[in-house]
Amino acid sequence: MRRITMTVNGREITCEVEERLLLVQFLRETLKLTGTHVGCDTSQCGVCVVHVDGQSIKSCSMLAVQADGRSVTTIEGLMKDGEMHPMQAAFHDQHGLQCGFCTPGMVMSAIDLLQKNPDPTEQEIREWLEGNLCRCTGYHNIVKAVRQAATAISRQGEART
Amino acid sequence: MTELLVGKSMKRKEDQRLLTGRGRYVDDIRRPGESHAYFVRSPHAHAEIRSVKKDAALASPGVLGVFTGKDIQRDNWGSIPCGWVVTDRYGKPHKAVPHYALTPDKARYVGDHVAVVVAETYAQARDAAELIEIDYHELPPVIDLATAMSGAQIHDLAPQNLCYDWELGEQAEIDAVFARAHHVASLDLVNNRLAPSPMEPRAALAEYDPAQESYTLWSTSQNPHMLRWMLSENVSGIPETKLRVISPDVGGGFGMKIYCYPEETTCLWLSKQVGRPVRWTGDRSESFLADAHGRDHRTRVELALDDKGIFLGLKVDTVANMGAYLSNYATSIPTYFYATLLAGCYKTPVIHCDVKAVFTNTSPVDAYRGAGRPEAAYLIERIIDVAAMEMGVDPIELRRRNFIKPADFPYQTPVHLIYDIGDYDASLDEALRMIDYAGFPARKAESKSRGKLRGIGVACYIEACGVAPSQLIGKMGAGAGLWESAQVRFNVTGTAFVLTGTHGHGQGHETTFGQIVADMFGIPIEHVELVHGDTSQVPMGMGTYGSRSLAVGGSAIVRAAEKVIAKGHKIAAHMLEAAENDVEYARGWYSVPGTNRKVKLTDVAKKAYIPVDYPVGLEPGLDETAFYDPANFTYPAGAHIAEVEIDPETGTLKIVDWVAVDDFGKVINPMIVEGQIHGGLAQGIGQAILENVVYDSETGQLLSGSFMDYAMPRADDFPNFKVGYTETPCTHNPLGAKGAGEAGAIASPPALINAISNALGIRHIDMPATPQRIWRAARAAGAADAQKE
Amino acid sequence: MEMTGEQRIKAPQGIVWWALNDRDVLQASIPGCKTLAKTSETGFEATVTAKIGPVSATFTGAVVLSDIDAPHSYRISGQGKGGIAGFASGSADIHLVPDGDETVLTYTVHAQVGGKLAQIGSRLIDSAARSPAAQVFVNFSECLSALGPKDARKTGVVVPTIWV
Repeated sequence: MRRITMTVNGREITCEVEERLLLVQFLRETLKLTGTHVGCDTSQCGVCVVHVDGQSIKSCSMLAVQADGRSVTTIEGLMKDGEMHPMQAAFHDQHGLQCGFCTPGMVMSAIDLLQKNPDPTEQEIREWLEGNLCRCTGYHNIVKAVRQAATAISRQGEART
Repeated sequence: MTELLVGKSMKRKEDQRLLTGRGRYVDDIRRPGESHAYFVRSPHAHAEIRSVKKDAALASPGVLGVFTGKDIQRDNWGSIPCGWVVTDRYGKPHKAVPHYALTPDKARYVGDHVAVVVAETYAQARDAAELIEIDYHELPPVIDLATAMSGAQIHDLAPQNLCYDWELGEQAEIDAVFARAHHVASLDLVNNRLAPSPMEPRAALAEYDPAQESYTLWSTSQNPHMLRWMLSENVSGIPETKLRVISPDVGGGFGMKIYCYPEETTCLWLSKQVGRPVRWTGDRSESFLADAHGRDHRTRVELALDDKGIFLGLKVDTVANMGAYLSNYATSIPTYFYATLLAGCYKTPVIHCDVKAVFTNTSPVDAYRGAGRPEAAYLIERIIDVAAMEMGVDPIELRRRNFIKPADFPYQTPVHLIYDIGDYDASLDEALRMIDYAGFPARKAESKSRGKLRGIGVACYIEACGVAPSQLIGKMGAGAGLWESAQVRFNVTGTAFVLTGTHGHGQGHETTFGQIVADMFGIPIEHVELVHGDTSQVPMGMGTYGSRSLAVGGSAIVRAAEKVIAKGHKIAAHMLEAAENDVEYARGWYSVPGTNRKVKLTDVAKKAYIPVDYPVGLEPGLDETAFYDPANFTYPAGAHIAEVEIDPETGTLKIVDWVAVDDFGKVINPMIVEGQIHGGLAQGIGQAILENVVYDSETGQLLSGSFMDYAMPRADDFPNFKVGYTETPCTHNPLGAKGAGEAGAIASPPALINAISNALGIRHIDMPATPQRIWRAARAAGAADAQKE
Repeated sequence: MEMTGEQRIKAPQGIVWWALNDRDVLQASIPGCKTLAKTSETGFEATVTAKIGPVSATFTGAVVLSDIDAPHSYRISGQGKGGIAGFASGSADIHLVPDGDETVLTYTVHAQVGGKLAQIGSRLIDSAARSPAAQVFVNFSECLSALGPKDARKTGVVVPTIWV
């Protein structure tokens, strides 16, 4: 067992964890943050994507102890003042989700794309999302949602400056 | 009066929770004191189980128990049933081989359930499972469909591994037609085996309450009532009243989550054995091994035509893989959901279909999105293109010549079904317009100038949805009626509870059904609450599959809401001091025409619950239940066109354009329907070019057992889809709706394979048309062309 | 899966044949072989740790020598259970042909895996099995090349004189 401290969705947490515990298990089982899902056992599907220090990462491919001292954001931590993040809102507007199981990972991954490339083309979005599988939507509306969010976020930025 | 919601692309009610991490899937639910089950699965495809040594595992830390099939059998738990009896060509029922939750005698596929360990934690259960020693005596596995009937016998009940040998149509009749044909086109094809792979793996959580002697099972089921029924009547003998099945949010199903599975059955049994809640959540490796797979047919199809290209007869000979055991509806898929669809959109007068369903040492096979209908549409639409090529006729023209025309409806096909309505030319016209079919030769020439091969392919499909009229399917062997129930309760505060026996797991039922009820009652959609997926709340249900939820479940809701309105009518007449006949109802208001006297449904509801001044003899309350049994299937149809570009040097395929034009009858929420089309297309395109379940043909080992090897479609495999509609409303349900869930998966494989064949100038290429296969076909076609020149 | 190969060994056939029957040499030659205990004239009990793609497992099982035609050829076969990871079984037909002071060893290996190993590692099996299989004979050859009859005595290995 090892004692770790990290910030999860803005709250500092200190826990004793088994060294072999995956970050995704830590989030789901220990912290009961069940919005982050598990869809495979070979790090292919991307439903477990969270942000660690602002970077998207598949939380099934990281140990909880590796997140010691770092800041983790999950889907539960995206809302601000009761308002959805523009990416969440865009998924709602564009019908970018059906069963919702891949959605948290998809949203977290897409937000990171816009951090790195604020104005991606449709093809760039499709390529970025290669590591996120969705079985319901055919990706069509997910791509539209990411485009909408890109526009919304850049407008927000303009409004602020 | 508020705007009508039906027909509008309302944003979904379910999104808020799903987008913010507040969805509640089975694995998100925690019960106090829960324990964890780990299944020990056979690593052999076919092996006798000679002994199971549990001692070391039992002594392992945290272990609460280790059990085998013999333990469950001692409790008199029975076999998981197959609910559809198919009668073979000799009048005998199919071979109903037993399927126990844990196999007591023999492992029949890699992944078969041999033992289960229950422990305090999942890791402890898994560690203990390592210590179980099983003595297997290996038997020769039966894997290849072509030789399955001569392989080692898998079940004592089924000689030659034959489940049934079934026939539809008259042999003499079809022979006569083929004898006088001007041209016969024939083709051997494979409908590849698929892993449905919803993103949420299956899971179960079972809890026994000794005080009430009752069980609760949380399951990732599309069909909680049917699951309860089977577990109660066929498997456990637990009274239905003592078994509650809850399907909370479910992360996609696609048919694969309809069935009663060994894992949830075992968890239910274990919950009483160990006296603790028992949880099992499958990992993806287990999904690949033990989820029901889809398709897996080998078929020879022959089409007889006269000299004008008119279809005279269709002959189909299929071997269908059942896998190692019969999943709940497996027998019906390659028969009554397949052969009955072989008329397609065409006036083929004589149809004959032979189906041999065989057992193999592979995972059970059952319905997967489309279920039988994609297999039928694929072979029809493929053989038409082959015939067109061989006869030198334009494939579109050949289809039009044989279409059932609008004036022909209702149309009795030679294969049981009566189509109520449709307009196949209309869908095809619209699709051709949307893809600019006339401009294709120019685009092809442009591609050629870049060394690329461009092709276009059309598929006109039909499906039988709105599953299903009980009397008709009863005659075909179904063991259940496939009506749907609904309960609509108009509350004293002016809101409505709607309880449905269907289950939404991505289809947006809360929204679509909300729109219908909100319009009928003239209340905001926020005031309609949908309850589904809980057998203790919803009176009865038949679940969600076969594109039935709206056409059948939605119709039941309409009927129940109508009953509420009808009862309200009596109360309103009393309140308005008018004769019942003089009162009219429209969207939340009862009025007496020609006067200004009117009363709101909400006020009527108050009266109904506070019946002080009230019609004599009328029951209080506004709470009505309806059971809706459809008069016929519904028949969505349409035309899909794929345009592709192939690089002959590499075999790389690019889908450059896709048009889907569908006739779903009345559409309640176009946004949701479009989403259903996109998803269906993705799965159908996946089947056509990417996905394939592969077992090693000698050992029966599953070689495509993870997302590393099973090619799930990814975002960059697809173009943007263009979706259009034509509309001929269903004639026999109150919504005029036909169902939209499966169409995309049915139409897209033939459209895409037709386009690829067209690009390469070849008769056929088998699915999945991977770059390697395309490259080989391009090389062979190139060589053949060179020889001709 | 089947693979064949050839290894030239700088030792006479007699030495090679002796080594093919020697527990220590075999254990040193098999990659990941933790224990190899002789259970009979022609049988061993082995523990081997192997990693194929993402799956690593410790196999325990019996190794048997059969079809013995001393000092020319035999078949060595084994079957191992790796618990949840599945199972692996394989055999190698080995032939020795003298070439002066040296010996040419040819082999045909059949290998099969099952369960999770096949499921997750199937596409890696060929390459994953090919290299350790080949490695066995490389190790074996190196073991022997470094080991003339004199050295063999020094390390306590008794070389049957009849073959020397």
